[in-house]
Amino acid sequence: MTTVTASTRATLVLAVLGVVAATLGAFYGNNYHLLIIGSIAISAIVATGLNVLFGLAGQISFGHAGFFAIGAYTASFLSAKADVPFVLAALAGAALAAVAGALLAVPALRVRGPYLAMVTIAFGFVVEQGSAEWKAVTGGWNGFMNIPRPEWIGGPLTDRGLAIACAVLAAGLLYGFARFASSRWGLAMRATRDAEIAAQSLGANLVAVRTLAFAISAAVTGFAGALFATLQGFISPESFPFFLSITFVLMVLVGGQGSSSGPLLGALVVVLLPEMLSSLAEYRLMFFGGLLLLVLWIAPSGIAGAAASMWTKPRRRQLKDGAMMADEPRVAAYLSREQSARLVVDNLTVSFGGNRAVDGVSLTAQPGRVTSLIGPNGAGKTTLLNLISGFYRPEAGHVRIGASDITAASSHNAARAGVARTFQTSQLFNGMSVRENLLVALHGGSLAGGASLSPADAIALTDALLSWVGYTGSAARAAGELPHVDRRLVEIARALATRPQVLLLDEPAAGLSSEDTDRLGAVVRRIAGLGLGVLIIEHDMRLIMGISDRIYVLDAGRLIAEGTPAEVQQNAAVRRAYLGEGEFEAVVGRVPGEARRTEALTVQGLTTGYGAAPVLEGVSLTVHEGELIALLGANGAGKSTLMRALVGLHRPIEGSVFFAGREIGGAQTHLIARSGLTLVPEGRQVFAESSVEDNIRLGAYGKQPLTNERVEELFALFPKLATLRGRRAGLLSGGEQQMLALARGLAANPRVLLLDEPSLGLAPTVVNELFGALAQLRAEGRTILLVDQMARLALALADRAYVLSSGKIVFAGTAEELKNNPVLERAYLGGGA
Amino acid sequence: MDLNTFLSSVVAGVGLGSMYGLTALGFFVTYAVSGTVNFAQGSTLMLGAVLSFTLGVRFGWPMWAAAPLGLAVCAAWSAFVEAVGVRPFAKRGSESWLLATVALGLILENVVLFTFGKDPRGMPASFLTTNGFEAAGLRVTLLQIAIPLVGFGIALALHTFVTRSASGKAMLAVAQNRDAARLMGINVGLVVTGAFALSGVFAGVAGMLIAPLYTVSAGMGTLFGIKAYAAAILGGLGNPWGVMLAGVLLGTAESVITAGFGSTWTQMLSFALVIVALAVRPNGLFGRAAVKKV
Repeated sequence: MTTVTASTRATLVLAVLGVVAATLGAFYGNNYHLLIIGSIAISAIVATGLNVLFGLAGQISFGHAGFFAIGAYTASFLSAKADVPFVLAALAGAALAAVAGALLAVPALRVRGPYLAMVTIAFGFVVEQGSAEWKAVTGGWNGFMNIPRPEWIGGPLTDRGLAIACAVLAAGLLYGFARFASSRWGLAMRATRDAEIAAQSLGANLVAVRTLAFAISAAVTGFAGALFATLQGFISPESFPFFLSITFVLMVLVGGQGSSSGPLLGALVVVLLPEMLSSLAEYRLMFFGGLLLLVLWIAPSGIAGAAASMWTKPRRRQLKDGAMMADEPRVAAYLSREQSARLVVDNLTVSFGGNRAVDGVSLTAQPGRVTSLIGPNGAGKTTLLNLISGFYRPEAGHVRIGASDITAASSHNAARAGVARTFQTSQLFNGMSVRENLLVALHGGSLAGGASLSPADAIALTDALLSWVGYTGSAARAAGELPHVDRRLVEIARALATRPQVLLLDEPAAGLSSEDTDRLGAVVRRIAGLGLGVLIIEHDMRLIMGISDRIYVLDAGRLIAEGTPAEVQQNAAVRRAYLGEGEFEAVVGRVPGEARRTEALTVQGLTTGYGAAPVLEGVSLTVHEGELIALLGANGAGKSTLMRALVGLHRPIEGSVFFAGREIGGAQTHLIARSGLTLVPEGRQVFAESSVEDNIRLGAYGKQPLTNERVEELFALFPKLATLRGRRAGLLSGGEQQMLALARGLAANPRVLLLDEPSLGLAPTVVNELFGALAQLRAEGRTILLVDQMARLALALADRAYVLSSGKIVFAGTAEELKNNPVLERAYLGGGA
Repeated sequence: MDLNTFLSSVVAGVGLGSMYGLTALGFFVTYAVSGTVNFAQGSTLMLGAVLSFTLGVRFGWPMWAAAPLGLAVCAAWSAFVEAVGVRPFAKRGSESWLLATVALGLILENVVLFTFGKDPRGMPASFLTTNGFEAAGLRVTLLQIAIPLVGFGIALALHTFVTRSASGKAMLAVAQNRDAARLMGINVGLVVTGAFALSGVFAGVAGMLIAPLYTVSAGMGTLFGIKAYAAAILGGLGNPWGVMLAGVLLGTAESVITAGFGSTWTQMLSFALVIVALAVRPNGLFGRAAVKKV
């Protein structure tokens, strides 16, 4: 299915203009001009071929000269030695190059980044050197001479005819590329380029898509090689050096990666400019190098990209208000089934590095119901979703959807079986329009089969889905430009476009305002209303309690509770997991501390966010010398972002941060750290390959190196670490790593210690031990800002507390005051509990 | 191929391979610390060779003065590549550093072409190339012995630096966890620049050592740089000794292929081996598979 877009039309115009210019040039120019015209056309063809791989599929190749050579030699040999008509010989060359491309895809698909670059470089060398060695076919280093011309009416093509023919072919391919880019195959390639994982989650088979991209790209390049051979009349291994492959990449980049008119622009620049500067031929390398750098610095999207962003005005085509109601039947007809299947997860288990991330979890998502999965950070919720959708393989247990077992299915097969999902961080295909995002999903990301809709029906359906989920923007807008809310909505619409049996949503409300969250909740209910099963992971308790039919609670990889919202809210185990209530409180006890009034850390009006959505809004707080302050709030409230912003890891920020009397907002992290503000980050982040003692000594980096006495003092505080001092930190248990992270933070002897979720993922006894250590630090008069999900426990230690909710401070006061204030429970468990 | 030819090709291959390995260590160091690779590494190697010729032969400086100055220039060049060709792109999460470093390599090659001249120059004979040992008909020059010794000596020095010194440990910390390293007060930007400078020194040393074996020219670094890159990739980019060993394996394989089949087969077969090796072991011969994050 293709849609004719503005860029396709622009390419058509450019291609026609190119042919006219080439024809005029061919009739009025001399032989040199004919050669230049032919070279530009052939270069444009190669660049178009490489653009399929590099621009659409996002895979780099530094070995395309190899495909070029294969096409050139095959065509030359068949037409000169076997009397095959040149056109057929050229097509054979393209076919052989395609086979080589598909074969190269085998190793190339297994590797990525720098490894892929190496495979393609090696391929180019193998072909270049192979053509030198296979003398019987290639003529070795002496080269291949007297390559025939294609036959035309009444004899072989003249120089002029050939130049025009090349130009016509180039124009045809440029236009063909433009159509291809928005075809089903092109869409699948672009989807894997923009968000490989999301593409798989919609049913795209990476291996098939990328192999196809390699083969098509190689075929076009091989065909260009055949034209090159007949245009030059002579080829040798020296015609296909490594440098030629770099030139090809340069053309695509200069023109504009992925742009359909880019290859022509790139070919013009790369062929013409050196010719115009022919008196400076010796500077060729410098010219190419300089041009490449310039493009990378100034115009990463190439000439075509820069021109497009300059000339196209943002189009705003609002959907009509009535559209949503009118389209409801279409959406319902598409999504509802007579009998949607049940998702059954049975005793699922997986471990990472000896740690059971998901441990014997069983749950069921009924069709037409909203099933929720909640639990503290690190409980294994997303891991469970990844197991269901085929991104991880379980060690034990089963996943069934209806009658079919999808336990070990790959992600694209899970998708094709009816599992659709969204991601914690929306993974849209940013380089594609909103509509194209949905079109990929409509085809199930596959290259063949699936729903067969007419283009008009497909567009009507995608528009209907978009408006049905509440997206009111333009379907033609690039997904990368969307504001946060719209990204969430489009991602849900895209998942629905696969016509799933079950929809998995991973924290869809993260970063949404409360009004948007309400709207999202309504959408989720409506999806279930059509008979689909919905399984949702979410931290926003107000949302979960409002929309769920059934809730499962996961903690440390195990289910600890299940039931209706009301049952779960009252469940003791859940309250303990969320609030850290109960058993520890007595253990820690309250350490009386004498708070001084010197301000150590002052935050005023701090605002920051990721992209458009603010995560923190006007946060102000103060930490005095010798105080222990607890910063509480539900997951996603912005606690960690605040901690990271304080030490300069998250930027940019508005507002100010004063530390030890100096403004440090916007300063570099290592300088903030050296000034005495130390963050012990969430997830411990110890240096896994370094020894325990090295980790501790690194804590004092940039200061006086630790004396041995000081190291022993720190070990005395954490006796268990002393026995492990030579061990690699990565081999330590979670609790030991947390002690190490704390010791490493203390090594710098900080004026203020920031602790981000120290108890996360630790067993209860270890949490006790940890809070014991914190109590001791508190007693020593350390100044500490503590973020911890064990709210009750943190309050038992703290002098004062702040509660953060949706990025704003909603409570500030003493720990005592907060203990009996319902604001805390509301922030953690939602609703009126 | 008789035993003697085989043995002498192995000796030559180990020497060549240890220089692949040394240059590849440069790729390894920058990749470990910054996740980026300096494709201008081949040009740095050429710079080392050209400077040792220019300073040591044309200007007649003693090697104890020419070599350190040459290496300092190589280090500065690599640091420059990082500043203009890597950092601006790495900052915004773009992978364009790959092509930007290629571009910088091309530019340096062209600059050298003008200043140094087009004709390849041979290093004059020295006591390292004229003296040697002969045993059982096999002749080994001092240089052939010195090259692997220097190569492995530097690898050992790197190992010691990283595991013993404070700066080395900081470098290791940056390689493991950038943000945590920043929190320790480590200036990550400086460490990355330092890693590039170090990689430049490695390439420079390799260039100076192989200069007497081949001719010195502006274009000498390209293919050598690619082979060294192959060694780094085969070694898995994750483990310095793996990278070094892969270099030696590649060099030896090449040398034996040349002796057995003739020089035209060398590159075809060795690059074909690289493709096959990566098809079988996508993370390199000695690399570990990374966990794919969803």
